Amino acid sequence: MIQPKIKMKVVGSDRDVGEVSNVIADPVTKSLSHIVVCTDDGGQRVVPIDQVADVSEGVVLRCSAVTVSGYPLLCRDDYTTVHQQEVAGLEARLDVDPGHTLLPVPEGDRDIPRRGFFTKFTIAINAVLAIPLAYPVLKFLIHPMYAPYSNQWVKLASTNQFSDADAPRSYRFKKTIKEGYLERTFDKSHWAMKASPGTLESVYQGKDIEFRDKSGEVYWVNRRNVPYVVFSGKCPHLGCGYKWRSTKKYSMAFLCPCHLSIYDIAGGVLTGPAPRALDVLPTRVTPGGDIEMIDVEFKAGRADRVRVI
Amino acid sequence: MNGVAKKIYDWFDERAGLTELGDKMLNEPMPGGSRYAYVFGSILVYIFMMQLVTGILLMFYYAPTADHAYESTQYIIHNVEYGWFILSFHFWGSSVMVVMVVVHMSQVFLWGAYKKPAELVWVVGTILFTLVVAMGFTGYLLPWDQRSYWATTVGLEIADKTPLIGDFIGQFLRGGPTTGAHTINRFFVIHVMILPLAIMGLATLHIYLFRKAGPAGPRQRDHEMLTRTSEYFFPRQVYKDSVAIGIVFLITCGLAFYEPVHLLQEATPEPGDYNPIPEWYFLFLFQMLRYETFSGEWGQIVGSIVIPVIFMVWLIAIPFMFRNPERRLRHRKLGFLTWAIILLAVAYLTYDYTITEVH
Ligand code: HEM
Ligand code: FES
Repeated sequence: MIQPKIKMKVVGSDRDVGEVSNVIADPVTKSLSHIVVCTDDGGQRVVPIDQVADVSEGVVLRCSAVTVSGYPLLCRDDYTTVHQQEVAGLEARLDVDPGHTLLPVPEGDRDIPRRGFFTKFTIAINAVLAIPLAYPVLKFLIHPMYAPYSNQWVKLASTNQFSDADAPRSYRFKKTIKEGYLERTFDKSHWAMKASPGTLESVYQGKDIEFRDKSGEVYWVNRRNVPYVVFSGKCPHLGCGYKWRSTKKYSMAFLCPCHLSIYDIAGGVLTGPAPRALDVLPTRVTPGGDIEMIDVEFKAGRADRVRVI
Repeated sequence: MNGVAKKIYDWFDERAGLTELGDKMLNEPMPGGSRYAYVFGSILVYIFMMQLVTGILLMFYYAPTADHAYESTQYIIHNVEYGWFILSFHFWGSSVMVVMVVVHMSQVFLWGAYKKPAELVWVVGTILFTLVVAMGFTGYLLPWDQRSYWATTVGLEIADKTPLIGDFIGQFLRGGPTTGAHTINRFFVIHVMILPLAIMGLATLHIYLFRKAGPAGPRQRDHEMLTRTSEYFFPRQVYKDSVAIGIVFLITCGLAFYEPVHLLQEATPEPGDYNPIPEWYFLFLFQMLRYETFSGEWGQIVGSIVIPVIFMVWLIAIPFMFRNPERRLRHRKLGFLTWAIILLAVAYLTYDYTITEVH
């Protein structure tokens, strides 16, 4: 196969014409179709490969210098180099100089405004397909996130379990919830005590405790004269479970083993990182002597109480 | 290769370009030659692949639902042949991966290998770092025992405190107000699909960018010496990588063998006698939150959100802040000092955790 090299001298049938500046390959046949001759007057002429007679010592053309100057000038924008366009198997068939082997840009792709049109419409079609999907996908993902609260009363203990005042104990209860299709029952616990008048005063500080739902409506009021107090088992620092026990500094206190927050009998913070006192839960005593509570839970890590369940 | 094998190879080679591909991958010139200091990236690729293999094996028996996750994990540990080993290898593999990520980051930081033109290698690396940590956090919930439940509950309470987006993130990850059935499904899909795909994609990008930038090589820039001692990636660096990978494999096996995974009670919001603790590599943060400085609503946000976010931003910004091309450590005293202080602080906080009694 005829394989002219870059920079080779080009000789016409009558005289020298110039040198080879590029070669042009045909991406379909994977062979050379033209050479680009840089003529002595500086123009670049596209010469068909069948005009090349010999390449052993420079390129010898079959045609004359005048014929060469009649060939079209190279329009560089109509070509890419091998760096910019992948033609499978080209390098295996040709001795390719990547920077100087030109490949024609397909006719249909030379028209820049038309390419722009296709680009814009491709983006538009894909956007039309993708954007309406965003909404159902988001709805799909957030489906279980905002479940309504339940204000159901749950039995925690009965009054006859409390003999001494100010002796809190953890009471377990079974909780059943349905998450999606799955109903589960598991153990949970809160702390309850019969409070002495002094402790009750510290818990209530002279005011009844009102529990409000999101809209601000009061759904329950804990009266300050009811001596039974239930603290949520969730530590207001970051949600671990705490214990009523003796500690190094205090004879008896609520101690959280996670980040060592310590609370007094009335739930007030003695030391540690907790941002607020223990959470008092809505509590009532039934005529039969059962202590019932609503199993509400507040966000941990905040000074105010934001209900989560 | 004998005649037939060569014919078969050539047939494939002609169509798939195997020889060229192999040559391009393996004949990567490494200025200054191969070193044991460069093994850590390959170790990470190896552990990640082992986690994929052991993780896929675990999925043959594991059921990602709140009513069966615990039982199915117990079944893997107690009933399935070698189940205990595969689970324990996967468990310890995650710790080894975290350690190796930190060692790899330290190596490229101390060598100044993040400097121009490798800035993007580093930036993609920092994302990989967060993804590896996220893998540890999401995987921890899946056995659904008390350890899982409380670590996740506390972790998500922390995420919930992120200003503006925290509530959404917390609810989104939990799939509701509390750690429950939706949480385990969500963590499962994040742990076995989303994060692994993201790590595969980003690790590929990381290594592509690394090859594009070229290996940084030794800190000393003596061109004559670097050219003279330059070696291909294959075979000497591959050999060193393999030796190191072998050691890591043995360590992981040893940990799995001598400290196999045992589950606690099944997850429930009733803590009983259990004192919650996170994975060991989060203990420093856990201990930090016990300090007076980080108490109260704002103190806690500073400790668990502001400081980690500042750290990550600083980490990502490193190649853009330290632009001096000088890579020798004795001219980078500030960088070295910062690195040492961060590691010492983490080590000290972890140690302080171990000596703090709960009383
Ligand atoms: C899943 C996690 C990661 C994987 C699988 C990984 C893999 C690799 C591999 C295979 C290399 C090639 C050379 C070598 O091993 O030193 C590399 C280089 C590098 N990695 Fe990572 N990497 C990870 C995480 C990170 C992280 C977290 C950082 C930093 C924040 C980082 C920063 C770099 C840098 C700067 C280099 C260039 C080193 C040089 O030029 O010598 N990578 N990584
Ligand atoms: S969760 Fe109780 S002190 Fe942090």
